[in-house]
Amino acid sequence: MAGASSVLEDGTALSRLDRQLYRLESALALVGGVAVFALMLLAVASVGGRNFFNHPIPGYVDWIEQAMPIIAFVGISYCQRLGGHIRMDILVGRLHGRALWAAEFAATTMILALMVLMVWGSWAHFERSFDWHEPFWSRDSSLDIRLPLWPAKLLAPVAFAVLSVRLSLQLWGYGRAFLSGAARPVAVPLIEDAQTVAAREASSVSGLEDGAASGRR
Amino acid sequence: MDSIDIGLVVSGFLLAMVFLGVRVAFAAAIAGMVGLVWIFWAKQGYDPERFFWALTVAVKTAGQVPHSKIASQALSLIPTFILIGFLAYHAGLTRSLFEAAKRWVGWLPGGLAVSTVFATAGFAAVSGASVATSAVFARIAIPEMLAIGYDKRFAAGVVASAGTLASLIPPSAILVIYAIIVEQDVGALLLAGFLPGAFSALVYGGLIVGLAVAFRGFGPPSGGFTWMERLRSLPAVLPIFFVVLIIILFIYNPFGGDAWGTPTEGGALGAFVVLVMALWRGMRWPQLRSALLETAKLSVMIFTIIWGVLIYVRFLGFADLPGTFAEWITSLDQSPLLTLVLILLAYAVLGMFMDAIGMLILTLPVVYPAVIALNGGEAVAAADSAFGMSGVGCAIWFGIIVVKMAELCLITPPIGLNCFVVAGVRPEISVQDVFRGAAPFFVADALTIAGLLVFPAIVLLLPSLLLGG
Repeated sequence: MAGASSVLEDGTALSRLDRQLYRLESALALVGGVAVFALMLLAVASVGGRNFFNHPIPGYVDWIEQAMPIIAFVGISYCQRLGGHIRMDILVGRLHGRALWAAEFAATTMILALMVLMVWGSWAHFERSFDWHEPFWSRDSSLDIRLPLWPAKLLAPVAFAVLSVRLSLQLWGYGRAFLSGAARPVAVPLIEDAQTVAAREASSVSGLEDGAASGRR
Repeated sequence: MDSIDIGLVVSGFLLAMVFLGVRVAFAAAIAGMVGLVWIFWAKQGYDPERFFWALTVAVKTAGQVPHSKIASQALSLIPTFILIGFLAYHAGLTRSLFEAAKRWVGWLPGGLAVSTVFATAGFAAVSGASVATSAVFARIAIPEMLAIGYDKRFAAGVVASAGTLASLIPPSAILVIYAIIVEQDVGALLLAGFLPGAFSALVYGGLIVGLAVAFRGFGPPSGGFTWMERLRSLPAVLPIFFVVLIIILFIYNPFGGDAWGTPTEGGALGAFVVLVMALWRGMRWPQLRSALLETAKLSVMIFTIIWGVLIYVRFLGFADLPGTFAEWITSLDQSPLLTLVLILLAYAVLGMFMDAIGMLILTLPVVYPAVIALNGGEAVAAADSAFGMSGVGCAIWFGIIVVKMAELCLITPPIGLNCFVVAGVRPEISVQDVFRGAAPFFVADALTIAGLLVFPAIVLLLPSLLLGG
């Protein structure tokens, strides 16, 4: 089961697009991480406000429910770029060259088809709660402090659209690799065996340990 | 074809996609989408003119799943627990824990190995990730063990196995995921994990002492710490006790009255304490940024599986597959306990090839209702049930056992990831050596699972004592 892999780069148009999209994806993922951080601070403030100042944060649960889609959706393409969505590669991992790229191309095509449909479906879900003529353009709102729900609902189609662009780039990458028969193509996550995954996992954690021990990285 | 047949064909298609390497989250969503279109179109008699209508309804049904299922307060525990784990590395807690454990129990036969187990169990209290825990302790503990003449296979096996303790000791992300999928109380599951987790740690400790006594070369004791030195090692590990205490107080209030808040708030307070500790230990923006990115990536990975599988579950509901499967399994002419053991063995086989989280989310929608039905249904009283516990009790008991089972697979060949990680950190130890070293712990874990099956009280004592029911 693999949850991470490396992506090679070179000077081709495909690789340049890959890196530009990656910059956007990283920024979005960081927004997701900051949302987790904000969630933590919000909970601390809520507990503190309730117990020490007798003044709970109004709409605490509403805010959590607004923050969850940020955490859950905006990093989805970042995760796909890095090959972070888990899969079983015990069979695919045995393929090499053109057979491997053909298999990856087929799998990516199916995922792209799914995500295009999901953009449509989640956009429809957003549209049902959005209305130019309503206050805050909103037809529905959260239970407690009546936050409009459409911004959180809009995150799903936006994140899925970015993922669709990413998947299209990966299709391009796999297609090119299939035509050229390259062993290690650019702009697509490469399958790594368990040893390599383990070694990278270990070194990243070691980095954390050293950083903590010496106060630098 | 009736809807059950459609359910079976689509589920077979899902399994085929997963084995062929389609990413689990998307494979589940694709199967769900295909199944929804199929079942809606079948209801229209496969009229070609109605296909687009069926597609539209299916897409709109699936399209509301991600937002409507994800925007929930209960799910916010998952990213919070993940954040605690990543911050904990920067707080330098691992080394302090190992140092403290060494000073307190190092004098035992196999003392450093026992220290490793207890330090890992302690670290599990702030981290829910087995693999990363093994990696860290492979770096800290193995060199010290080798330096005083430990058998290298033994040392490596200890570290790989001890990492699996993280899944049961709260805060455990995987137990939260289980609770959400089967719609049970998150607090009850977290509490239920505590005793079996501590029990596993004690079993490991006992096994190590036994092995070190039986085989002289395995692990000589190390000692020579005064009581003063022991006491001095404690302040550095206090945040861990604080995190555990806070999370428990936010589930259950020992002084009577309501708990202090929700588990989510407890987790957030814990994360905040670990954050302060990490800042104090020298964490700055670059490290915090990388911790936040890792948290975001892991969270989005888990949430994508959750909504992907929930689309599949939506389809399963239309096809009535879980209900039919449960009926079939309760109609089997054998004892319910045997059926349960067979289900667990199937998980052991599946776990050899699949990641624990993916495996559980993918299978529970069908397997869980069947297990509950085996026991006699959701509302059954303990006296009338097959396993001698209420429906809620059975949900908790099965959750703990199945998670323990999934973790067991982290130390079995062919792809026991913990073992690969240990071998990756210590190039002088081969993967085969780690697997061999972990073998006694595998046996111990199998016995622990048997113990949990025979004595459900180990699982159910804390939740029923503290939360009632």
